[in-house]
Formats: sequence, C-alpha cells, structure tokens
Amino acid sequence: MSKKSSPRFRFVFAAALLVLLALLVPALREGDQRLYLLAAGVTGAMLLCMIIPARLFSLDRLILSIALYLGAVGIISLATSNPDAALMQLLRCSAGVVALIIGAMVIRIISPSMLTAGISSFLGLLLLAGSLLVRDLPFPFTEAALILMVISFSSLLSCYGGAAALLPGIIGTVLLLLQGMTVEASVLALTVLLLLWAADGKIGLVLAALAVFAAIFFGAAYFGYLPAFIPGEEHALSLSTLVSSGLFGSETVTDLQNSALPASSLVYLLSENYGLVFTGLTLFLYLPLILRGTSVAGSARTRFHAVLALGCVLIFSLRIPAGLLAAFGVLPLPLNPLPLLTDSLPDLAAQMLTLGLLCGISSVNETNLAEDAHLAMLAK
Amino acid sequence: MFSVSPEIYKVITQTSRYLFAFFALMLLLFALSWLYDERRKRRERLRYLPEAGNIGEMVVIAGSEQLPVDTWFPIPREGILGSLRSCDLVVPCPGVHARHLAFSWQDGTGLIIKPFPGCETFVDGVSLITAEKSEMPVMVHGSCLQVGSAVLRLQLLSALEHTNRPFTVTAPEPFLPFTDPPAQEYRPDQPNPMNQPLIGNPADGLSQQESQSAFDSVVVSVIPEEHLPVQQTAPRRKRADRWKEDFSE
Repeated sequence: MSKKSSPRFRFVFAAALLVLLALLVPALREGDQRLYLLAAGVTGAMLLCMIIPARLFSLDRLILSIALYLGAVGIISLATSNPDAALMQLLRCSAGVVALIIGAMVIRIISPSMLTAGISSFLGLLLLAGSLLVRDLPFPFTEAALILMVISFSSLLSCYGGAAALLPGIIGTVLLLLQGMTVEASVLALTVLLLLWAADGKIGLVLAALAVFAAIFFGAAYFGYLPAFIPGEEHALSLSTLVSSGLFGSETVTDLQNSALPASSLVYLLSENYGLVFTGLTLFLYLPLILRGTSVAGSARTRFHAVLALGCVLIFSLRIPAGLLAAFGVLPLPLNPLPLLTDSLPDLAAQMLTLGLLCGISSVNETNLAEDAHLAMLAK
Repeated sequence: MFSVSPEIYKVITQTSRYLFAFFALMLLLFALSWLYDERRKRRERLRYLPEAGNIGEMVVIAGSEQLPVDTWFPIPREGILGSLRSCDLVVPCPGVHARHLAFSWQDGTGLIIKPFPGCETFVDGVSLITAEKSEMPVMVHGSCLQVGSAVLRLQLLSALEHTNRPFTVTAPEPFLPFTDPPAQEYRPDQPNPMNQPLIGNPADGLSQQESQSAFDSVVVSVIPEEHLPVQQTAPRRKRADRWKEDFSE
C-alpha cells in the first residue's frame, strides 16, 4: 500500500524540479557552463536550505520554501538573458537567506522594552533621515527602516500603550513624505493605523491617529511634497511590457528591459520570457505566504509577537497591490519592484529579514504549544 | 558543455513554456493544500489541548450578582482586566474600572500586575498603588487579587514552580535491612501456627459474625484514618481529558 506524500514534500519536489528545468532549458541553447552551474547550484542550495537551516533554526517550512522559490524565480528571470547577472542574483539571494536566519534568531533575543523600542526607533529614523540628507545614496535602506519602525511600534505598544507607539510612526511617515516616497509613507501609515486598531482597540485613539496622518498627507500635498498622480509614459510602457509576450511567453529571448521601467524590478523580465500566465501564477504565491503570516500572528501568545508578526505581514503585503496596480497602469503610483522579485540587495535582505522575523515568531509559537502539551501530559 | 541544435531547442522551449505554466499552477495548488493541511493539523492539535495559551485560572472568592462566587476564567499570558466586555478578563463588579489593570506572565517570576492610573488594586493585601516599585508584589499560585469589590484567587497550571507557600517534602523513612526471623526450634507438641485461624474460632465460643466484627474493629484501630481510602469526588473541571497524544515529542 503506497503512502500518500505530504503537501510539503510535493511542493518542495515540484519547486526544485521547476527551477532545475527552467535553468537547464536556456543552458541547452549554447551549452553555457554558467547556466549549468546555476542549475545545479540553485536547485541544490534550495533543497539544502529547505532541510538544514529549517531544521537547525526551527524555521517555518512554508514561509521558507515560498521565499526560496520566489528568490529562485528572480534568478530564473535573469538567467535567460544575462547569466552573469543571474550569478550575482544568486549571491544576493544567499545574503537574503542569511538575513532570514538572522531575523529568526533575533526574535528570540529581543523582548518588549524601552531599550528595544529606543534602539529600533533610533536606527529606523537614522536610516530615513540619512537617505533624506544624502540623496545619492547608492543603497536604499527604506525597507530596513520600515521593519525597524514596526519593531519599535510593537515594543512601545506592548509596553506603554498605543499613544506612545504612535510617535515614531508619525515621524517616520513625515520623513518618508519629505523624500517623496508616497507609497512607502502610505504603507507605514496604514500599517500603524491597522495595528493600532487591531491591538489597542481604542476607537478614540485610532480616530485621532487617522486625523493626524490625514493632516500630514494634506500638509505634504499643500507644501508640494506629494508627486502629481498623473499616468506617465512609464505606466503605459509597464503595461505593454507585461502583456507583450502573450500568455505563455515569446520565442525570442529578451535581453534587457526598457530603461524607463525600474531597473531593480524583475517581474518585467519574468513576464517577457515566460509569459503572463506563469508570472501571474507565481505572483499568486504571495497569497499563501500572507495567509501563513496572519496565522502566525494569530497564534502568538504575547502581544509583542502578535503585533510584530502582523506588522511584518502588513509591511510585506501592502506593497504587493500597490506595485501591481501601478504596473498594470490602474493607479498612477510610482513603479516599485514587488517583494522578493528585486535585484536590490538591501531591499531583498530587508524583505528576507521580515520573513525571518515571522519564521522566528512561528518557532516561538511551536515551542509554547509544546510546553502546553507537556503541561497537559503532567496534568493528566 | 552539452548543447542542442536550434531546431530541437525551439521544440524544447515551446514545450517548456506550457510545462512551466503547468508547474506554476501545481506549485500554487500544493502551497495552498500545504497551508490548509497545516491549519487542519493545528486545529486538531488545539482540540486536544484546551488549555493551550493559558497559564492558569482565576477563581472568584468574592464577587457580585453578575459574578457569583466560584466562577472561574482562564488566564492568558497577557491581557487587560476590567469591566468592559472587550477586556480579556471581564470583572463586572462595583469599583472595577472599564480598563482596570494590565497583566503579563513572566516565566520563573509569576503574573505581573500593572494597574492603570487611579485604579486601586491589591495583591495579597498589598496595595499596588502605594507599594514601592522594588517591592511590587507578583502573583503566584494561590495569590489573591482584589479589584473593587471582587476578590480573585490565582491558580496556576505550573503551580509547583510558582508558589510562595512553604512546600516541605518529608523524607521517607529509611528502609530497614530485611532480616530473617530467628529460627525457632520445631516442637511436635505445638500446633502449626499456619493452620490456626486469625481471629475468632467457633470452637473458642465466638460466632462467625462476632469474629468478623472483632476483626473489623482491630483493622480500623490499627490503620490510621488518613490512610484509609477516601471516596474520590468528581473534579470541578477535568483538565485535558481529551488529551490523547504528547505533541511535544
């Protein structure tokens, strides 16, 4: 009698097979050694990461597997046209995995306290103010700053209540608006408001916070810090690029994407090489990732972990509709790369760190549940 | 390295585009089924652990009409106590504010109580408003919390690790080395003691009933009362009665 395979095994096997085939097919064209190396390296690294670090650091397998697969999809999108860039992306993804493990370990160290809130607020605001002062900064640290702001908010909320937690969020939003980062500012403001509503539950405070954020955005519009929301050439180009290869991709290999589109976004290359169906189905994998994140937040025992997990999910997921709506030209927002489908190392590392925090909270939840089972056994 | 002719490569790429789309669809379905499977397993696990997430329970010692004595509620690791229905512990008693205090569990220490400003709270008779910060009492197993007119007693699941009551363990008496009884010289004129009745013998003038009552009186007088089997009463609440498997393994 054959034993039915588990969904985890099926997912890992299918993901590894898809990545292997997707890297082997372009390698067959010219027999490029780098692509063969990538095929073996990426598949092996994926399988190893899904087994060894997941077991060593008690990482959440579902979050880890989807994160690794989306990272591999980024490599695949580059491998067809530029194997050197794909090798570089592999190194970036490796750094991202290290960031994920660090995130999972950090969650076991930090606790809600004034020290945690102070350090994370200071670092987050420093990164935002630094990028405001130095405009030509080669590495954008906005994503990392947002995560630090969420850690600070969670710590303050669980220690001192909602009113105290609002202050860093408001300052962070103002700093982001001063740089013209409307999407990031909106994501931070929405995250703070939703967390305040979910965790504190005081409707008066939520309404007051809503009024403050509305005043900040109206002030930014009044003083000319908000960009004009007019559909530009890049929005039309973005839509045409996404649908140019049809449903199942074109026969010709696209080498470089248009310079009007954001260089760090890999979704255009993916769509041009593999078609709209493959890209759409890949992007749908964000859904189980977000659902798993909310499940982790709902299972957390402490308020700090629950708020932090929900904050990580919101910071991660609110960028997806904003990016997709802008890419399809529905909303005239700035074109930003989607999470994990970017070749910007700071962004990728920060997003992996976010998922690492979720993995760490999931691990803490499992430990707590095991303790409960032990107590139940003793009580019996 | 190995490469194929352009014609074969064209066929491979055309096939692979559909194959990859199919694989992407399968991956999405596998991920969703994995998520569903994990949720189902977690629900099943929690069904067998009804106390999961709780550190113990609060039993009402003195309450009100809406909160009768002996009512109990489970205590989560963190939360708010107050008279509002949105609080984690709802105590509808006179003198209890809408949001009276915040509590949080600290492993190895106990339940830390932080009353909100102006909310009088006592732990084991000590006021938390007037107590020094360094001498702030922490609730442990058996501690009593007084908020307004309500008095609640804390009962922890990990009671032995968190108690301020003296818990003395009496050492068991040392085992005496087993020694054989001294050998007695066999005398054929004495009856064999193994063949003698224990108590009473109709031949001695005692009826069977009298001998039985005599036996009972001896037994009762010999065995101390506390060692007699007491009649077990049904527990107020049987904890983890549906527990079947140790999931910690």
